[in-house]
Amino acid sequence: MSYLSSDKAEAELAQSIKKATSPDETAPKQKHIRRCIVYTWDHHSSALIWSGLKVQPILADEVQTFKALIMVHKILKDGHPVVLKDGLRETAWIETCARSVAGDGSRGYGSLIRNYVELLLHKLNYHRQHPEFNGTFEYEEYISLKNIDDPNEGYETISDLMSLQDRIDQFQKRVFAHFRPSSNNECRIAALVPLVEESYGIYKFITSMLRAMHRRTDAVDALSELRARYNSQHYALLRFYYECSNLRYLTSLISVPKLPQDPPSLIDSDTPSLP
Amino acid sequence: MSVPGKGVLRSVKNYAKGYSDMQIKVREATSNDPWGPSGTIMNEIAQATFNNNDFTEIMDMIDKRLNDKGKNWRHVFKSLTLLDYCLHVGSENVVSYAKENMYVVKTLKEFQHIDDNGKDVGANVRQKAKDITNLLSDEVRLRDERNQRAQMRDRMAGVENI
Repeated sequence: MSYLSSDKAEAELAQSIKKATSPDETAPKQKHIRRCIVYTWDHHSSALIWSGLKVQPILADEVQTFKALIMVHKILKDGHPVVLKDGLRETAWIETCARSVAGDGSRGYGSLIRNYVELLLHKLNYHRQHPEFNGTFEYEEYISLKNIDDPNEGYETISDLMSLQDRIDQFQKRVFAHFRPSSNNECRIAALVPLVEESYGIYKFITSMLRAMHRRTDAVDALSELRARYNSQHYALLRFYYECSNLRYLTSLISVPKLPQDPPSLIDSDTPSLP
Repeated sequence: MSVPGKGVLRSVKNYAKGYSDMQIKVREATSNDPWGPSGTIMNEIAQATFNNNDFTEIMDMIDKRLNDKGKNWRHVFKSLTLLDYCLHVGSENVVSYAKENMYVVKTLKEFQHIDDNGKDVGANVRQKAKDITNLLSDEVRLRDERNQRAQMRDRMAGVENI
Protein backbone atom coordinates (compact mmCIF):
# COMPACT_ATOMS: atom_id res chain seq x y z
CA MET A 1 0.00 0.00 0.00
CA SER A 2 1.32 3.37 -0.85
CA TYR A 3 0.05 6.67 0.40
CA LEU A 4 2.35 8.94 -1.47
CA SER A 5 1.86 10.24 -4.95
CA SER A 6 4.21 8.46 -7.31
CA ASP A 7 6.35 11.58 -7.84
CA LYS A 8 7.02 11.87 -4.15
CA ALA A 9 7.69 8.15 -3.82
CA GLU A 10 10.22 8.38 -6.63
CA ALA A 11 11.98 11.34 -5.10
CA GLU A 12 12.19 9.54 -1.77
CA LEU A 13 13.49 6.42 -3.43
CA ALA A 14 16.22 8.39 -5.19
CA GLN A 15 17.19 9.89 -1.82
CA SER A 16 17.36 6.45 -0.21
CA ILE A 17 19.54 5.04 -2.98
CA LYS A 18 21.87 7.99 -2.71
CA LYS A 19 22.17 7.72 1.04
CA ALA A 20 22.61 3.95 1.04
CA THR A 21 25.54 4.25 -1.35
CA SER A 22 27.23 7.28 0.16
CA PRO A 23 31.03 7.51 -0.04
CA ASP A 24 31.58 7.18 3.76
CA GLU A 25 33.28 3.97 4.72
CA THR A 26 30.45 2.75 6.95
CA ALA A 27 27.77 0.12 6.65
CA PRO A 28 24.95 1.15 4.32
CA LYS A 29 22.14 2.12 6.65
CA GLN A 30 19.38 -0.43 6.88
CA LYS A 31 16.67 2.22 6.90
CA HIS A 32 17.61 3.33 3.40
CA ILE A 33 17.86 -0.20 2.10
CA ARG A 34 14.59 -1.05 3.79
CA ARG A 35 12.90 1.78 1.98
CA CYS A 36 14.10 0.35 -1.34
CA ILE A 37 12.90 -3.14 -0.42
CA VAL A 38 9.50 -1.84 0.64
CA TYR A 39 9.32 0.14 -2.60
CA THR A 40 9.73 -3.03 -4.69
CA TRP A 41 6.78 -4.61 -2.86
CA ASP A 42 4.63 -1.51 -3.05
CA HIS A 43 5.17 -0.96 -6.74
CA HIS A 44 6.03 -4.47 -7.95
CA SER A 45 8.98 -3.10 -9.79
CA SER A 46 12.65 -2.41 -9.27
CA ALA A 47 13.38 -0.61 -12.53
CA LEU A 48 13.77 2.74 -10.78
CA ILE A 49 16.27 1.32 -8.30
CA TRP A 50 18.56 0.08 -11.07
CA SER A 51 18.33 3.33 -12.98
CA GLY A 52 18.87 5.18 -9.70
CA LEU A 53 22.03 3.19 -9.07
CA LYS A 54 23.29 4.04 -12.52
CA VAL A 55 22.88 7.79 -12.21
CA GLN A 56 24.86 7.87 -8.96
CA PRO A 57 28.61 8.28 -9.47
CA ILE A 58 29.08 4.91 -7.84
CA LEU A 59 31.75 3.37 -10.01
CA ALA A 60 34.22 6.18 -9.34
CA ASP A 61 34.62 5.17 -5.70
CA GLU A 62 35.35 1.67 -4.46
CA VAL A 63 33.50 2.08 -1.17
CA GLN A 64 30.41 3.27 -3.01
CA THR A 65 30.64 0.37 -5.43
CA PHE A 66 30.93 -2.09 -2.58
CA LYS A 67 27.97 -0.58 -0.76
CA ALA A 68 25.93 -0.67 -3.95
CA LEU A 69 26.65 -4.39 -4.25
CA ILE A 70 25.51 -4.99 -0.67
CA MET A 71 22.34 -3.13 -1.49
CA VAL A 72 21.80 -5.12 -4.69
CA HIS A 73 22.26 -8.34 -2.74
CA LYS A 74 19.71 -7.30 -0.14
CA ILE A 75 17.03 -6.22 -2.57
CA LEU A 76 17.50 -9.42 -4.56
CA LYS A 77 17.08 -11.37 -1.37
CA ASP A 78 14.22 -9.60 0.40
CA GLY A 79 12.53 -7.65 -2.37
CA HIS A 80 9.52 -8.60 -4.44
CA PRO A 81 10.19 -11.61 -6.74
CA VAL A 82 10.19 -9.25 -9.70
CA VAL A 83 13.58 -7.93 -8.53
CA LEU A 84 15.19 -11.25 -9.46
CA LYS A 85 13.79 -10.97 -12.97
CA ASP A 86 14.95 -7.38 -13.28
CA GLY A 87 18.33 -8.34 -11.86
CA LEU A 88 18.83 -10.89 -14.60
CA ARG A 89 18.52 -8.09 -17.12
CA GLU A 90 21.05 -5.97 -15.25
CA THR A 91 23.94 -8.40 -15.22
CA ALA A 92 25.89 -6.21 -17.63
CA TRP A 93 25.85 -3.35 -15.14
CA ILE A 94 26.86 -5.65 -12.30
CA GLU A 95 29.78 -6.80 -14.42
CA THR A 96 30.95 -3.25 -14.98
CA CYS A 97 31.21 -2.87 -11.21
CA ALA A 98 33.89 -5.55 -11.25
CA ARG A 99 35.88 -3.69 -13.88
CA SER A 100 35.68 -0.33 -12.13
CA VAL A 101 38.57 -0.87 -9.70
CA ALA A 102 42.08 -1.63 -10.78
CA GLY A 103 44.03 -4.10 -8.65
CA ASP A 104 43.20 -3.94 -4.99
CA GLY A 105 42.16 -0.30 -5.05
CA SER A 106 43.45 2.35 -2.70
CA ARG A 107 41.32 1.17 0.19
CA GLY A 108 41.54 -2.54 -0.49
CA TYR A 109 38.06 -3.21 -1.85
CA GLY A 110 39.17 -4.26 -5.34
CA SER A 111 39.21 -8.00 -4.98
CA LEU A 112 36.22 -7.94 -2.62
CA ILE A 113 34.19 -6.17 -5.29
CA ARG A 114 35.21 -8.61 -8.00
CA ASN A 115 34.34 -11.55 -5.77
CA TYR A 116 31.04 -10.07 -4.76
CA VAL A 117 30.15 -9.55 -8.41
CA GLU A 118 31.01 -13.16 -9.15
CA LEU A 119 28.82 -14.35 -6.29
CA LEU A 120 25.88 -12.18 -7.34
CA LEU A 121 26.12 -13.35 -10.95
CA HIS A 122 26.26 -16.93 -9.78
CA LYS A 123 23.20 -16.36 -7.60
CA LEU A 124 21.29 -14.73 -10.45
CA ASN A 125 22.24 -17.55 -12.75
CA TYR A 126 20.92 -20.02 -10.22
CA HIS A 127 17.62 -18.19 -10.15
CA ARG A 128 17.53 -18.21 -13.92
CA GLN A 129 17.80 -21.99 -13.94
CA HIS A 130 15.49 -22.52 -10.98
CA PRO A 131 12.85 -19.83 -11.29
CA GLU A 132 10.64 -21.55 -8.72
CA PHE A 133 12.83 -20.23 -5.88
CA ASN A 134 12.32 -16.96 -4.09
CA GLY A 135 15.25 -14.85 -2.98
CA THR A 136 15.42 -16.25 0.54
CA PHE A 137 15.14 -19.94 -0.38
CA GLU A 138 12.11 -20.88 1.64
CA TYR A 139 11.44 -24.58 1.52
CA GLU A 140 7.72 -24.50 2.23
CA GLU A 141 6.93 -22.24 -0.67
CA TYR A 142 9.06 -24.29 -3.01
CA ILE A 143 7.32 -27.50 -2.03
CA SER A 144 3.88 -26.02 -2.40
CA LEU A 145 4.82 -24.88 -5.88
CA LYS A 146 6.53 -27.96 -7.05
CA ASN A 147 6.16 -31.61 -6.26
CA ILE A 148 9.54 -33.21 -6.10
CA ASP A 149 8.48 -36.43 -7.68
CA ASP A 150 11.45 -36.58 -9.98
CA PRO A 151 14.50 -37.56 -7.94
CA ASN A 152 16.85 -36.61 -10.77
CA GLU A 153 15.58 -33.09 -10.77
CA GLY A 154 15.81 -32.90 -7.00
CA TYR A 155 19.37 -34.14 -7.17
CA GLU A 156 20.29 -31.42 -9.61
CA THR A 157 18.58 -28.69 -7.59
CA ILE A 158 20.49 -29.65 -4.48
CA SER A 159 23.78 -30.04 -6.23
CA ASP A 160 23.45 -26.60 -7.84
CA LEU A 161 22.42 -25.11 -4.53
CA MET A 162 25.49 -26.61 -2.89
CA SER A 163 27.69 -24.93 -5.48
CA LEU A 164 26.10 -21.62 -4.57
CA GLN A 165 26.75 -22.38 -0.90
CA ASP A 166 30.41 -23.03 -1.72
CA ARG A 167 30.61 -19.65 -3.44
CA ILE A 168 29.20 -17.94 -0.39
CA ASP A 169 31.76 -19.71 1.74
CA GLN A 170 34.62 -18.60 -0.51
CA PHE A 171 33.44 -15.03 -0.45
CA GLN A 172 32.98 -14.85 3.32
CA LYS A 173 36.52 -16.15 3.79
CA ARG A 174 37.78 -13.40 1.55
CA VAL A 175 35.86 -10.79 3.51
CA PHE A 176 37.45 -12.01 6.73
CA ALA A 177 40.87 -12.04 5.08
CA HIS A 178 40.46 -8.40 4.11
CA PHE A 179 39.74 -7.07 7.58
CA ARG A 180 42.05 -4.25 8.50
CA PRO A 181 43.26 -3.87 12.05
CA SER A 182 43.26 -0.09 11.75
CA SER A 183 39.54 0.31 11.07
CA ASN A 184 36.33 -0.97 12.59
CA ASN A 185 35.63 -2.86 9.35
CA GLU A 186 31.96 -1.97 9.60
CA CYS A 187 31.56 -1.64 5.86
CA ARG A 188 33.07 -5.07 5.25
CA ILE A 189 31.08 -6.69 8.06
CA ALA A 190 27.90 -5.27 6.56
CA ALA A 191 28.43 -7.59 3.59
CA LEU A 192 28.46 -10.58 5.94
CA VAL A 193 24.91 -9.89 7.15
CA PRO A 194 23.11 -11.02 3.97
CA LEU A 195 25.63 -13.84 3.63
CA VAL A 196 24.75 -15.28 7.03
CA GLU A 197 21.04 -15.06 6.30
CA GLU A 198 21.30 -16.50 2.85
CA SER A 199 23.64 -19.34 3.75
CA TYR A 200 21.32 -20.35 6.57
CA GLY A 201 18.31 -20.26 4.25
CA ILE A 202 20.14 -22.51 1.81
CA TYR A 203 21.30 -24.79 4.61
CA LYS A 204 17.77 -25.21 5.91
CA PHE A 205 16.48 -25.84 2.43
CA ILE A 206 19.08 -28.48 1.64
CA THR A 207 18.46 -30.20 4.96
CA SER A 208 14.70 -30.44 4.41
CA MET A 209 15.05 -31.42 0.79
CA LEU A 210 17.65 -34.11 1.45
CA ARG A 211 15.51 -35.54 4.22
CA ALA A 212 12.51 -35.66 1.94
CA MET A 213 14.54 -37.39 -0.74
CA HIS A 214 15.89 -39.95 1.69
CA ARG A 215 12.35 -40.76 2.73
CA ARG A 216 11.14 -41.07 -0.81
CA THR A 217 13.78 -42.99 -2.67
CA ASP A 218 15.39 -46.20 -1.59
CA ALA A 219 18.58 -45.12 -3.26
CA VAL A 220 20.50 -44.27 -0.12
CA ASP A 221 23.68 -45.16 -1.98
CA ALA A 222 22.94 -42.84 -4.87
CA LEU A 223 22.71 -39.94 -2.44
CA SER A 224 25.97 -40.73 -0.67
CA GLU A 225 27.86 -38.10 -2.63
CA LEU A 226 25.38 -35.40 -1.61
CA ARG A 227 25.57 -36.57 1.99
CA ALA A 228 29.33 -36.23 2.01
CA ARG A 229 29.09 -32.76 0.56
CA TYR A 230 26.36 -31.83 3.02
CA ASN A 231 28.53 -32.88 5.93
CA SER A 232 31.54 -30.89 4.81
CA GLN A 233 29.35 -27.83 4.21
CA HIS A 234 27.94 -28.23 7.69
CA TYR A 235 31.41 -27.91 9.22
CA ALA A 236 32.25 -24.97 6.98
CA LEU A 237 29.10 -23.15 8.07
CA LEU A 238 29.76 -23.98 11.69
CA ARG A 239 33.14 -22.27 11.41
CA PHE A 240 31.69 -19.32 9.53
CA TYR A 241 28.98 -18.71 12.13
CA TYR A 242 31.47 -19.14 14.94
CA GLU A 243 33.68 -16.44 13.48
CA CYS A 244 30.68 -14.19 12.92
CA SER A 245 29.54 -14.59 16.50
CA ASN A 246 32.75 -12.88 17.58
CA LEU A 247 31.95 -9.73 15.65
CA ARG A 248 30.11 -7.46 18.04
CA TYR A 249 28.79 -5.23 15.29
CA LEU A 250 27.27 -8.16 13.42
CA THR A 251 25.67 -9.86 16.41
CA SER A 252 24.06 -6.57 17.37
CA LEU A 253 22.22 -6.61 14.04
CA ILE A 254 21.17 -10.20 13.52
CA SER A 255 21.27 -13.31 15.63
CA VAL A 256 23.77 -15.71 14.16
CA PRO A 257 22.28 -19.21 13.86
CA LYS A 258 23.69 -21.90 16.14
CA LEU A 259 24.36 -25.19 14.42
CA PRO A 260 24.88 -28.46 16.29
CA GLN A 261 28.48 -29.61 16.50
CA ASP A 262 27.82 -32.54 14.17
CA PRO A 263 25.68 -32.54 11.05
CA PRO A 264 22.11 -33.71 11.78
CA SER A 265 21.07 -37.10 10.53
CA LEU A 266 19.32 -37.04 7.18
CA ILE A 267 17.95 -40.55 7.37
CA ASP A 268 16.60 -40.74 10.90
CA SER A 269 13.27 -38.95 10.76
CA ASP A 270 13.15 -38.51 14.53
CA THR A 271 15.68 -35.72 14.51
CA PRO A 272 13.94 -32.45 15.21
CA SER A 273 13.63 -30.02 12.35
CA LEU A 274 15.64 -26.82 12.37
CA PRO A 275 14.30 -23.66 13.97
CA MET B 1 10.07 19.42 26.47
CA SER B 2 8.16 17.85 29.29
CA VAL B 3 5.77 15.02 28.67
CA PRO B 4 2.52 16.96 29.25
CA GLY B 5 3.74 19.54 26.74
CA LYS B 6 4.10 16.85 24.17
CA GLY B 7 0.58 15.68 24.80
CA VAL B 8 -0.71 19.16 24.04
CA LEU B 9 1.36 19.34 20.88
CA ARG B 10 -0.05 16.01 19.76
CA SER B 11 -3.64 17.18 20.17
CA VAL B 12 -2.83 20.33 18.23
CA LYS B 13 -1.38 18.18 15.45
CA ASN B 14 -4.40 15.92 15.49
CA TYR B 15 -6.58 18.95 14.99
CA ALA B 16 -4.38 20.63 12.38
CA LYS B 17 -4.07 17.54 10.23
CA GLY B 18 -7.75 16.75 10.50
CA TYR B 19 -7.34 13.19 11.70
CA SER B 20 -10.44 11.17 12.41
CA ASP B 21 -11.28 9.98 15.93
CA MET B 22 -10.04 6.50 15.15
CA GLN B 23 -6.77 7.77 13.73
CA ILE B 24 -6.28 9.91 16.80
CA LYS B 25 -6.80 6.86 18.94
CA VAL B 26 -4.14 4.93 17.02
CA ARG B 27 -1.75 7.87 17.26
CA GLU B 28 -2.41 7.99 20.99
CA ALA B 29 -1.71 4.26 21.37
CA THR B 30 1.52 4.43 19.37
CA SER B 31 2.86 7.73 20.69
CA ASN B 32 6.35 8.53 21.85
CA ASP B 33 5.37 8.39 25.53
CA PRO B 34 7.71 6.05 27.34
CA TRP B 35 5.02 3.62 28.46
CA GLY B 36 3.19 0.93 26.55
CA PRO B 37 -0.24 1.36 24.97
CA SER B 38 -2.94 0.58 27.51
CA GLY B 39 -5.02 -2.57 27.18
CA THR B 40 -8.21 -0.56 27.04
CA ILE B 41 -7.15 1.51 24.06
CA MET B 42 -5.73 -1.49 22.19
CA ASN B 43 -8.97 -3.33 22.78
CA GLU B 44 -11.02 -0.43 21.47
CA ILE B 45 -8.92 -0.27 18.35
CA ALA B 46 -9.03 -4.03 17.82
CA GLN B 47 -12.82 -4.01 18.10
CA ALA B 48 -13.00 -1.16 15.63
CA THR B 49 -11.23 -3.27 12.98
CA PHE B 50 -14.55 -5.11 12.53
CA ASN B 51 -15.89 -1.92 11.02
CA ASN B 52 -14.61 -1.65 7.44
CA ASN B 53 -14.33 2.08 7.45
CA ASP B 54 -12.37 2.22 10.68
CA PHE B 55 -10.28 -0.71 9.56
CA THR B 56 -8.78 1.20 6.65
CA GLU B 57 -8.05 4.21 8.83
CA ILE B 58 -6.42 2.09 11.50
CA MET B 59 -4.20 0.16 9.12
CA ASP B 60 -3.31 3.33 7.31
CA MET B 61 -2.07 4.92 10.51
CA ILE B 62 -0.28 1.78 11.74
CA ASP B 63 1.49 1.61 8.40
CA LYS B 64 2.61 5.23 8.72
CA ARG B 65 3.92 4.60 12.21
CA LEU B 66 5.71 1.42 11.17
CA ASN B 67 7.64 3.33 8.55
CA ASP B 68 8.74 6.02 10.97
CA LYS B 69 12.38 6.91 11.44
CA GLY B 70 14.82 5.54 13.98
CA LYS B 71 14.50 8.45 16.39
CA ASN B 72 10.82 7.57 16.72
CA TRP B 73 11.54 3.92 17.42
CA ARG B 74 8.77 3.93 20.01
CA HIS B 75 6.25 4.60 17.25
CA VAL B 76 7.54 1.57 15.42
CA PHE B 77 7.70 -0.61 18.49
CA LYS B 78 4.24 0.30 19.74
CA SER B 79 2.68 -0.12 16.30
CA LEU B 80 4.11 -3.62 16.26
CA THR B 81 2.61 -4.22 19.70
CA LEU B 82 -0.72 -2.90 18.52
CA LEU B 83 -0.57 -4.94 15.33
CA ASP B 84 0.23 -8.05 17.32
CA TYR B 85 -2.77 -7.39 19.55
CA CYS B 86 -5.09 -6.81 16.60
CA LEU B 87 -3.84 -9.99 14.96
CA HIS B 88 -5.02 -11.87 18.02
CA VAL B 89 -8.39 -10.28 18.70
CA GLY B 90 -9.10 -8.04 15.72
CA SER B 91 -11.07 -8.92 12.62
CA GLU B 92 -10.01 -11.45 10.02
CA ASN B 93 -9.18 -8.52 7.74
CA VAL B 94 -6.23 -7.64 9.94
CA VAL B 95 -4.77 -11.10 9.37
CA SER B 96 -5.11 -11.01 5.62
CA TYR B 97 -3.86 -7.45 5.45
CA ALA B 98 -0.82 -8.26 7.57
CA LYS B 99 -0.03 -11.33 5.49
CA GLU B 100 -0.26 -9.42 2.27
CA ASN B 101 2.00 -6.68 3.58
CA MET B 102 4.30 -8.94 5.54
CA TYR B 103 7.38 -7.35 4.00
CA VAL B 104 6.74 -4.17 5.97
CA VAL B 105 7.22 -6.09 9.22
CA LYS B 106 9.79 -8.50 7.85
CA THR B 107 12.14 -5.72 6.82
CA LEU B 108 12.03 -4.36 10.36
CA LYS B 109 13.99 -7.37 11.53
CA GLU B 110 17.14 -5.35 10.89
CA PHE B 111 15.88 -2.10 12.40
CA GLN B 112 18.68 -0.12 14.00
CA HIS B 113 18.72 2.75 16.39
CA ILE B 114 21.11 3.76 19.12
CA ASP B 115 19.64 6.42 21.40
CA ASP B 116 21.47 9.43 22.83
CA ASN B 117 22.70 7.41 25.79
CA GLY B 118 24.28 4.86 23.48
CA LYS B 119 21.66 2.26 24.29
CA ASP B 120 20.60 -0.08 21.50
CA VAL B 121 16.86 0.44 21.47
CA GLY B 122 16.49 -1.19 18.07
CA ALA B 123 16.75 -4.63 19.66
CA ASN B 124 13.16 -4.35 20.97
CA VAL B 125 11.86 -3.60 17.51
CA ARG B 126 13.90 -6.39 15.91
CA GLN B 127 12.63 -8.96 18.38
CA LYS B 128 9.02 -7.89 18.01
CA ALA B 129 9.29 -7.91 14.21
CA LYS B 130 10.73 -11.41 14.36
CA ASP B 131 7.91 -12.62 16.63
CA ILE B 132 5.20 -11.24 14.39
CA THR B 133 6.80 -12.64 11.22
CA ASN B 134 6.98 -16.06 12.85
CA LEU B 135 3.37 -15.83 13.96
CA LEU B 136 2.23 -14.80 10.49
CA SER B 137 4.03 -17.63 8.79
CA ASP B 138 2.65 -20.23 11.21
CA GLU B 139 -0.97 -20.55 10.18
CA VAL B 140 -1.79 -23.24 12.77
CA ARG B 141 -0.43 -21.26 15.69
CA LEU B 142 -2.17 -18.09 14.57
CA ARG B 143 -5.54 -19.92 14.34
CA ASP B 144 -4.93 -21.48 17.73
CA GLU B 145 -4.10 -18.24 19.45
CA ARG B 146 -7.03 -16.43 17.85
CA ASN B 147 -9.41 -19.18 18.96
CA GLN B 148 -8.08 -19.13 22.48
CA ARG B 149 -8.60 -15.39 22.74
CA ALA B 150 -12.09 -15.67 21.35
CA GLN B 151 -13.00 -18.39 23.86
CA MET B 152 -11.61 -16.39 26.72
CA ARG B 153 -13.63 -13.39 25.60
CA ASP B 154 -16.81 -15.50 25.51
CA ARG B 155 -16.18 -16.79 29.01
CA MET B 156 -15.60 -13.28 30.32
CA ALA B 157 -18.75 -12.04 28.61
CA GLY B 158 -20.65 -14.83 30.37
CA VAL B 159 -19.42 -13.65 33.75
CA GLU B 160 -20.49 -10.12 33.04
CA ASN B 161 -24.04 -11.19 32.23
CA ILE B 162 -24.59 -12.92 35.57
